[in-house]
Amino acid sequence: MGESTSMAANIIDLTKESALLKPVVGYIKRKGFRLQTSELPFYQRSVDIYGYSMANNKTIAIELKLHKWKKAFEQALLYQLCADEVYIAMPKKYIGRVNLDFLTKYGIGLISVSETGRCQKMIDAKQSSVLRIGYKNNHIDYLQRRINE
Amino acid sequence: MSSNPKIIIRMGSHAEKDYILKLSNQLDGIIIGANVVEATAGATASLVGKKLQLPYYIDPVTYVFGCPLDGIKSEQKRNKKTVIDYKRAYRRLAPELGDIFSNALANNIPVVPGNFTGSILKNVCQKVVEYQLKRLHAEFEKDEEYKEYARSIPSPAGVFSPYFFISSDEWLELFLRLSKTTADINPSVPVYSVLCADYESLAEKSFTDKIANELPETGVAGVWLWFSRFDEWAVQEKYLSAFKVLVQQLSEKGLEVYNRHGGYFSLALNKFGMNGISHSVGYGEKKDVLQIKGPPNAPMVRYYLPDIYKRISTLNIERCFDDLNIVTPQDFHDKICSCVICKGVVKDDRLEFQQFGDMRHATSESKRMSQTPAAAKRCRFHFLMNRICERNFIGENELSTIIREISNAQEKWKDQPTVVNDCNHLARWEAALSS
Repeated sequence: MGESTSMAANIIDLTKESALLKPVVGYIKRKGFRLQTSELPFYQRSVDIYGYSMANNKTIAIELKLHKWKKAFEQALLYQLCADEVYIAMPKKYIGRVNLDFLTKYGIGLISVSETGRCQKMIDAKQSSVLRIGYKNNHIDYLQRRINE
Repeated sequence: MSSNPKIIIRMGSHAEKDYILKLSNQLDGIIIGANVVEATAGATASLVGKKLQLPYYIDPVTYVFGCPLDGIKSEQKRNKKTVIDYKRAYRRLAPELGDIFSNALANNIPVVPGNFTGSILKNVCQKVVEYQLKRLHAEFEKDEEYKEYARSIPSPAGVFSPYFFISSDEWLELFLRLSKTTADINPSVPVYSVLCADYESLAEKSFTDKIANELPETGVAGVWLWFSRFDEWAVQEKYLSAFKVLVQQLSEKGLEVYNRHGGYFSLALNKFGMNGISHSVGYGEKKDVLQIKGPPNAPMVRYYLPDIYKRISTLNIERCFDDLNIVTPQDFHDKICSCVICKGVVKDDRLEFQQFGDMRHATSESKRMSQTPAAAKRCRFHFLMNRICERNFIGENELSTIIREISNAQEKWKDQPTVVNDCNHLARWEAALSS
């Protein structure tokens, strides 16, 4: 808890989900997930951000939500099938609404995003216990193909 | 009631015939919309007359001519120009059903109760009945090569009186008159009404009382209920209970009762007098009366989770495997589904279940993914196999057993966060069936 990174001094408009993308992408990149894509298709779903760290062979999935954390939670549970770690990223001002115990119970992490773009990890994600290697490898292949294209 | 409820499959397009042919010995009948008949008349006649030994019905779909007519229009290419016009099937159907329908299209004004003056009402009933009795025979008779087969086409299992969406007392009165007049024609097969109204009508006691009291007096053999927007999985318990009471009232007065678009809840109402349900091969367990404008989207056929009688995403189910201790294919068959399709797909590894959700990019450039035809086919067959089992289960068991199964499902799935939100209907079903 409490780990943070400053993105920019500029105020960003966090009334749109897409505004969360840039700060969170930058944040996880600095954490080593350098191969990334947004809107990764996963069956009928689409993972907002999916990243891969070659250094430790870990994948991360992040669901961006403005305030409907329960909806994000349901999606995050599914992403645990395809990523080692799964996070929900939300504007800082709505973090208070989230049931932290619930996320902790299921091993889902939480990132708060301030209006300056500063990302702060509120809960660490646990290694997914339901990860399917097949899904993970397919997604890594997809990321690597995109680099080579 | 101890006999099995009937499953009458609605053939939404001719492409669905493979499902019907493969399962024909386990189904109780098919129903084909007159628009499908007109779109593929020869193929339908061939299916019904030669390939399929199954009771059939032709739904005259007269209601579409009383709804906003834009619903039966589409964009069409003519002389290299795009025009919006009535779909060809409805252009062909209208004159077959009579002037009142042709005029509606010609004037671009839907049919209204005031159109049924004098002898028109009787003529409409006569023509609509004749259509259902003779249309397929006529298709063979007009072709020298197939003429001899015309006699081999059996009569439909019943005919429907003309019907429209009941949106006012005037339409309700017309519904009863159309029912009685058609019954009075006394055709060679039973006459059925189609009660087509919004599901909120179920909460109007004056409406349901009138139907329960007056419809049996018309002389029809039965009624197919179609409550638009009646979604068994979403509506409040009061609507489920009112639906049950109406089924019971009509059945007690001697009518055969069917739900034109129903799922497991309607099937379970067999214990209250429901004779059968209809739906398509992987959809159609609920249907709005109003037509959707524009080209139809290829619907995603999701996996039917037998325990909860509902289709949900494969991912939501797969996410529960570890919690439910589903490790082997046998575990899957014991805890999720043991139908012949599932046994064929999930045979070496539990994760073969993923094949029910297979997706692909429609084109190499498209970003969106869509279900593969093979996955859709698996889901449809799996659903139909389960529906047949459900029919048999309901026929063979007491109501208390059916309710207990619904209760057990709630207990089994209550701790699964990716499924529990899709189980909310179970408590309502249990309450409505128990009351």
